Amino acid sequence: MKKIAITFLTIIFISSCNVLDQVSPNDVADSKVFTTKAGAEAALVGLYSSMQAKYYYGGFYQLTADLNSDVGIDGGYQNTVLDELSNVSVSTSNTIVENLWLALYYTIATSNAIINRIDGVNDATFTQDERNSIKGQAMAVRALAHFDALRMFGEHWNTSSAYGIPVVTTIQKATDIVPRSSVASSYAAIINDLKTALTLVDKADRTPVYFNRVAVWALLSRAYLYQGDKANAIAAADSVINDGTFSLLDQNNFGKIYSAPYQSQESIFELTFSIQNQSGMNALTYLRPSALRSDVYFLANANLDTFFINRPGDPRAALVDFSPNDNDFSITPDGRSQKYRGETTRDNPAFILRMSEIYLIKAEAEGLAGGGLTELNTLRANRGMAPLTGATISTEADFTTALLDERKAELNFEGHRMFDLARNKVFAAVVGPVKNTTDYSVSDFNAILPIPKQEMIATKGALTQNPGYPTN
Amino acid sequence: MKINRYCLLLAFLLPLTLWAQTPVVVTGKVTDSKDGNVLPGVNVVLKGTMNGTTTDANGAYSLPVPASSTLVFSFVGYQSQEVQIENRTVVDVQLVQETSELKEVVVVGYGTQEKKDLTGSITSVNNKDFKDQPTTNVAQNLQGKMAGVNITTTSGTPGASLNVSIRGASNPLYVVDGIPMLSESNSTMSTSFDLSGTPVGSGQSISSISDINPNDIESIEVLKDASAAAIYGSRAANGVVMITTKRGKAGRTKFSFNHYSGVQTPTRKIKFLNSQQFIDLIQEARANDLAIYNKDNTAFGQGFDATQLTDPLHYGTTGVNTVWLDEVLKNSPISNYELSATGGNDKTKFYAGGTYFDQSGIVINSAYKRLSGRINLDHQATDKLSFGLNVNVSHSRNRRSFNDNTYTGIVTNALGADPLMPPYDANGNYSDYTLYHTNWLSDNPIRSANEIIPYTTTNRLLASVFAEYKITKDLKFRTSWSTDYNNVLDEQFFSPLTTDAQAVSGKASRSVFEQLTWLNENILTYSKTIGKGKLNAIAGYTMQETKSSLSGISAQGFPQGSGLQNISSAALITSASATGTSYGLVSYLGRVNYDYNGKYLLSATIRTDGSSRFSPSNRYGVFPSGSFGWRISRENFFGANETITDLKLRASYGLTGDQEIGNFQNNSYWKPARYNGNVGLDPRNLSVPVTWQSNRAFNIGVDWELWGGRISGSIDYFKSNKTNLLSNDYIAGTTGFPTITRNRGEIENKGWEFTVNSVNISNDKIRWNTSFNISFIKNQYVSLSNNGLLLSAYNDGNPTHVMMVGQSVGTFWAIKYAGVDPANGDALYYDQSGAKVNAATITFDAAGVAGKAIPDYFGGINNTLTAGNFDFLVATQFNVGNHVYNQIKSAYLNLGWSNGGGLDGVYANNSVESLKRWKKPGDITNIPRASFINQNYNNFSTQYIEDASFLRIRTVTLGYTLHPKNVNWFTSCRFYASVQNLYVFTKYSGFDPEVSSTGSGDPRTAGYDYAAYPQPRTYMLGFNLSF
Repeated sequence: MKKIAITFLTIIFISSCNVLDQVSPNDVADSKVFTTKAGAEAALVGLYSSMQAKYYYGGFYQLTADLNSDVGIDGGYQNTVLDELSNVSVSTSNTIVENLWLALYYTIATSNAIINRIDGVNDATFTQDERNSIKGQAMAVRALAHFDALRMFGEHWNTSSAYGIPVVTTIQKATDIVPRSSVASSYAAIINDLKTALTLVDKADRTPVYFNRVAVWALLSRAYLYQGDKANAIAAADSVINDGTFSLLDQNNFGKIYSAPYQSQESIFELTFSIQNQSGMNALTYLRPSALRSDVYFLANANLDTFFINRPGDPRAALVDFSPNDNDFSITPDGRSQKYRGETTRDNPAFILRMSEIYLIKAEAEGLAGGGLTELNTLRANRGMAPLTGATISTEADFTTALLDERKAELNFEGHRMFDLARNKVFAAVVGPVKNTTDYSVSDFNAILPIPKQEMIATKGALTQNPGYPTN
Repeated sequence: MKINRYCLLLAFLLPLTLWAQTPVVVTGKVTDSKDGNVLPGVNVVLKGTMNGTTTDANGAYSLPVPASSTLVFSFVGYQSQEVQIENRTVVDVQLVQETSELKEVVVVGYGTQEKKDLTGSITSVNNKDFKDQPTTNVAQNLQGKMAGVNITTTSGTPGASLNVSIRGASNPLYVVDGIPMLSESNSTMSTSFDLSGTPVGSGQSISSISDINPNDIESIEVLKDASAAAIYGSRAANGVVMITTKRGKAGRTKFSFNHYSGVQTPTRKIKFLNSQQFIDLIQEARANDLAIYNKDNTAFGQGFDATQLTDPLHYGTTGVNTVWLDEVLKNSPISNYELSATGGNDKTKFYAGGTYFDQSGIVINSAYKRLSGRINLDHQATDKLSFGLNVNVSHSRNRRSFNDNTYTGIVTNALGADPLMPPYDANGNYSDYTLYHTNWLSDNPIRSANEIIPYTTTNRLLASVFAEYKITKDLKFRTSWSTDYNNVLDEQFFSPLTTDAQAVSGKASRSVFEQLTWLNENILTYSKTIGKGKLNAIAGYTMQETKSSLSGISAQGFPQGSGLQNISSAALITSASATGTSYGLVSYLGRVNYDYNGKYLLSATIRTDGSSRFSPSNRYGVFPSGSFGWRISRENFFGANETITDLKLRASYGLTGDQEIGNFQNNSYWKPARYNGNVGLDPRNLSVPVTWQSNRAFNIGVDWELWGGRISGSIDYFKSNKTNLLSNDYIAGTTGFPTITRNRGEIENKGWEFTVNSVNISNDKIRWNTSFNISFIKNQYVSLSNNGLLLSAYNDGNPTHVMMVGQSVGTFWAIKYAGVDPANGDALYYDQSGAKVNAATITFDAAGVAGKAIPDYFGGINNTLTAGNFDFLVATQFNVGNHVYNQIKSAYLNLGWSNGGGLDGVYANNSVESLKRWKKPGDITNIPRASFINQNYNNFSTQYIEDASFLRIRTVTLGYTLHPKNVNWFTSCRFYASVQNLYVFTKYSGFDPEVSSTGSGDPRTAGYDYAAYPQPRTYMLGFNLSF
């Protein structure tokens, strides 16, 4: 009896040790990720995956930039957080704003893990070139996410402003808090990352679904333009154009940009999705032919219809559907973008950097005086539009208007409008007439979103709220 | 004879022992020792056998037995008595009534105690208090019956989970016959999805406690204070609910067949405008707007097209007037069949039972069916060794109501649906809702109900085997091995007719959750009487492990018209997943109870738990507690008091713990992530060292009894502080994560509990008992690492709740409504400066604290009356001071707003409350002016936060018991008629003031109503047959 008891108790005590040591079947411990080449490569896949989040390039980032402007209007079931964006009157506790912020910094944190830990990977088979390629892409993604944060939450149009963004370049502990950098330092960090990335990424690779070398130039060009460094913006745009890998599609073919199998020759960098890894774009902008306005979150404002009516012959008008689906007094909405069709597959990519934008960047940097009309007309020619001439575009102001219109015609529902207006300091002037009501008028401070209330609380006063928004 | 067939069936199923051979027939009469009344139905059993009988209507019995043997007499409410026959042939017996409540035995952790010896705060409820009620979840039967225990129904969904809050702390630990159960919802279909299919909230969950048949339960004990609960240390911070199932009793095998059938009817249906009133509202809204436009033609922005205000409305009354709630809410049947047998001899005892429960939901196409069986067996092998087993198996199949309480659900779509739209068109097809005039709809609700087919199927096995060995006279060892196996299958099919799956020609998903828990407990018990002192001590070692897996697959594209729903017939697999998780727990426990002379009672408990959820360095937590009881009525100085017959003072203090953080939060992990056909890893979480949350609890109480139990009761004061809260705490988003699991913050619960039980009338004809309980609880955050953080019940809307020091858990956060401007009918709100502004101007930045989901006080009054063969019961429950955020109401009180839909349709139909709207200058009302273009209301304001205090008449039952004189095939039969949820007294305007659309999972976002499935009223008839 005693022996049995002792054996019994021994078995119990031995097994108890195992009970407390559980291993997760779904996760890998943080300490194990950067121990092999395969681990570092896996982290890079994870980094691209992080950008596919619903509140980043999975849909909400681009669409918010159009909704908080004259181009978009919201559908949805009395969804007040969408209403606020649509009305260009956002409260600090808006959950979309909060989720955008979190998605951006999640991607930044993931890139920081790669950048700071890849050199420590102790794996002899992991060559320096391979390391450089991964690190370079991570730096480019970090620059993109910082840049996206800056233009959504910082006074990106004013390099002397203190309202930049928190620039995070190290691995963060739970208790770490990073204060806002000035706009100038924010740009410096972004451009520095991109320049470093240029030295690291593969010299030959041009795969558009990854951050290839031309994509780095393209983003650099965009960042210089926003910063106001026109000469460098032009130089970087020329690097993209002269590379020759990517080029404009003509008026008969540019529809390929938006249809499967995607990755057209215009796409310098697009985030790819698949049926098993779906994008939110279709559900958010189209959903199904008979959808109601309450079913679709992001609709095109009637203003965009008027805009295209005033541009006769612009084939891009067909990319927004303003014709009611039937005449039976249907309550399906007017104004749905056609750029993200594909209701069964929902694999619409996020068009992050496209050739047409490069021409528009170069045109904007050059201005009328610098010969910007040439670039503008190159794009227009490929869209079947007659060239603009000095006869109609005689002043820089005319040129800016024409340029912004061209951008609106080309890039609507791709996440540019709100930033374009802010950069050219015409936000309230353009958006106001469209979105003002008797009770609320759009101001220039609405050109960026507030720092989320939750972030203000969690950082214990380390962050300063954007001007115009309540500070409590 | 139907009954006899059941007998035959049981005869095959159950072991029956042979009747003993004997020369003597003993007869006699059993009477009450006090009043001498005869007692019918008393069990008379030959000791050590199952040979026995029951007394007839005259209290007489007759039983053939061996000449020198012992008879055992037992009867509910009386003390059992053993009588040696000693060659007599007539044995009359007087049974002594158990009047005093304090003599009850209650189940405590790892043992039992007499109620008089308790030093902790424990509330006990017996089977008689909850039997014969048409519920799937036993907790529902306890509503309003226990002081300090607030149980609220979150939804009328069959099988829905309940929010069980013990002294302000939600989600207690359930222990069934010693097995700590998984109580959280485990159906993946509890998720609410938004339009793009992204999960937005936890939605309505299904309780896993509903796998236990309420009528198999003998008693339920709730351990409320630290002293009582500390023996379950690690998981007892929110209290412990101990469920003890019925066990066999020696004696003749007794069968019992119970049945009830009833009908459930929808109650408190919200009334909507009819077609004409609906059109009138739209016309009035347009006229109001036109008046404004005519005054100032820029009022709606530049370029506003006024034709939508002036063009004739192209839809008029067509004779169609659909009352949508009547289309989706129907009377529906409920029934239950139950057969059980109990018996045994003094060596082997058994209880066996089987139940079939069938409930159709009042929402069309929803149903819950459960088949369950139980066997409890005890065997005394030798003088020293005994063993036994408990097995509970259940199978349930639940046809869910799709997206219960979220945007696209059936009830949600029926609220505010267009009265001009018929359910079916002229061809008998579902009406195409896009051709009608409310854009709130996401589908024709009838189509959703018919064409979306979601089922949850659960198979559950709860089993344990145990053995007990008496090492010496005073020392015994008990070991038990238990398992809880749970398999949940969720299937969902969207036919190609549904809006959700039109574009993809049908879609389906299927997921399987499987969980296995095993538990081993080894307990040494030592009991000894030393002089006037009685010592009882236990020491134990337990360990358990839980492993679960979840796999799911979704597909789309089903062959048209084939009727096929299997994933294998789909064109494309859109997602597949398989994950798993596990945790383990190892515990050492000890308790010493010492009773000196029945006057001074001491108890000390300690439990040490180690959990795999924490890192090795801070894995173990120690949870001690101590309590003291003083039976003042036993003191000499108290003397023989005729009035106060029992008086006991209790006090306790102790620690309990909590480890509910989910598995694998103690380390930073990376999770699988996909891009461009490759799989990689991205960070899952950030971690800091975490350890046990600890709950410091103090309790002082008095148990009293007057006139020998005529009136008795308890008074308790308690204060408990949950410290080192294990919470998802907010951190700077620049870390990459919004939250981290860490020990931060403190919640305090304090309050008073009063219980009074009174025997109002007790004579040989009538017995009338009343019990009353009321609890006052103040719950508040004492500290938080991020004070003032806002939470959203559904994460795609504005915040709805706040966590703030000094406020209670589940405090609402909303814009403050300032009423209607009598001059122009504008809805007004207080902005941050306190000025009144209209709906277009107000922003959510002006929101503030706006009421709470937790009541100030709650309780219940229960009356039972027995008169002759009749019995009558009325049970009520009340909650006072709680609020509900009636968010859904803003959709159906939109006052003719078009939601940009232009002339083709407005947002939704309105409830009749809209008839009280402002119509002309000078109108004093709380309902604003109708407006077509602008939303003249704010759905995140206190306009929709309502007082949800209520008094509910929960159960009314009338029964009649038949004791047949000349029939020998049954001993008694009780017929009864019952009404559940007879009436609710409340000011709340939604379906039901007891609601939580986010289920029972998170008390921080409780009290939010998004069209939860309404609770029905149930009329039923039933009978209990014993034979």
